[in-house]
Amino acid sequence: MQVTVIIGEDEKKLDVNEGKTVKNLLQMLEIPVETVVVKKNQSIIIEEEPVEDGDIIEVIKVIYGG
Amino acid sequence: MDTCDKCGKPQIIINRKQSGQMLCQDCFIKFIQEKVLKDIRRQKLIKKGDKVLVALSGGKDSVMVLHILNSLRNRRIIDLVAVTIDEGISGYREDGVRIAAQNAEALGIKHRIISFKECVGRTLDEIMVDSDDRNACTYCGVFRRWILNQVAREEGATKIATGHNLDDETQSILMNYLEGNIHNLTRIGVQSESMYEGFTVKIKPLREIPEKEIATYVLATDLPVHLAGCPYAGDSFRAKIGTFLKEISKEHPTIMYSTLRGFDKIKPVIKEKFSQKGSMDICQECGEPSAGKICKACSFRLSWNHE
Repeated sequence: MQVTVIIGEDEKKLDVNEGKTVKNLLQMLEIPVETVVVKKNQSIIIEEEPVEDGDIIEVIKVIYGG
Repeated sequence: MDTCDKCGKPQIIINRKQSGQMLCQDCFIKFIQEKVLKDIRRQKLIKKGDKVLVALSGGKDSVMVLHILNSLRNRRIIDLVAVTIDEGISGYREDGVRIAAQNAEALGIKHRIISFKECVGRTLDEIMVDSDDRNACTYCGVFRRWILNQVAREEGATKIATGHNLDDETQSILMNYLEGNIHNLTRIGVQSESMYEGFTVKIKPLREIPEKEIATYVLATDLPVHLAGCPYAGDSFRAKIGTFLKEISKEHPTIMYSTLRGFDKIKPVIKEKFSQKGSMDICQECGEPSAGKICKACSFRLSWNHE
């Protein structure tokens, strides 16, 4: 299945296996889950949320070092 | 499917692993607002009639402080003024200043923007061009405190509220433990306790709220915030400790709370033994309270004149 991932101004389509969660997706993208808030189809969701075909996932970096 | 522990709605926006609570957007927003206001009451951070100066950077923490304290202003319990310090960090600060102004204007709160350039004579960028022995955070912290303290007096503010959160506070505790800075530990707390005239009491209403919950709150409430990292923060010791605490919190979700609680319990003992008393003076240059004849801010400024 395919999902759209938006990170800042960067938008890309990603192929993801069935049964994956947002946390799995972030791990694939090597993004630490504790530094971001994620929206799925414009609603804030938790990292355990399953990812489904056609989802638009927006990863918002909210925590920076320092 | 997971449901909200408070109202039973199906759409969860947070899983608070430290308490096991899962909350929907409306219940989370209400929970956070009540928690901050309860912390303010319990710790007596604010009293009726206070004029609170909010140090408003435009980032998520200070914007959240401004909006929550505004509920007390709407109930005519306190008066508010917002102050944004423009350190002069090209390509970073401009957005923060603009967003800070936007928030203050939306709430009808008096807002002042004060720059390092006008107060100190140099932007932080200019300071850093000539500096090779100190990191930017040292200058930034010293000058920001110096400016805020003066503006608080000009405005007749009785409190200065900052956006320090649970992550910031536990980082400070751990950093000072690890570096052996016991004297600095005596100054960590939910409100400053300086007895000296000329210092306005500083309060930290978000001290018990984790940074990620603050971020979730501002996004859930659609507040305009500046979400960007300071280019000078880099690979600081604080950043390393912050990363360590976030990492260990994954397996031990209550670790930051226990660090804070444990520290608050032993603080009176450390304070009694290590607090430095009676050495406060007035700076001969600027008249601000100072540990020596010249305060830190003026000693930096004077050193530039000699270059």
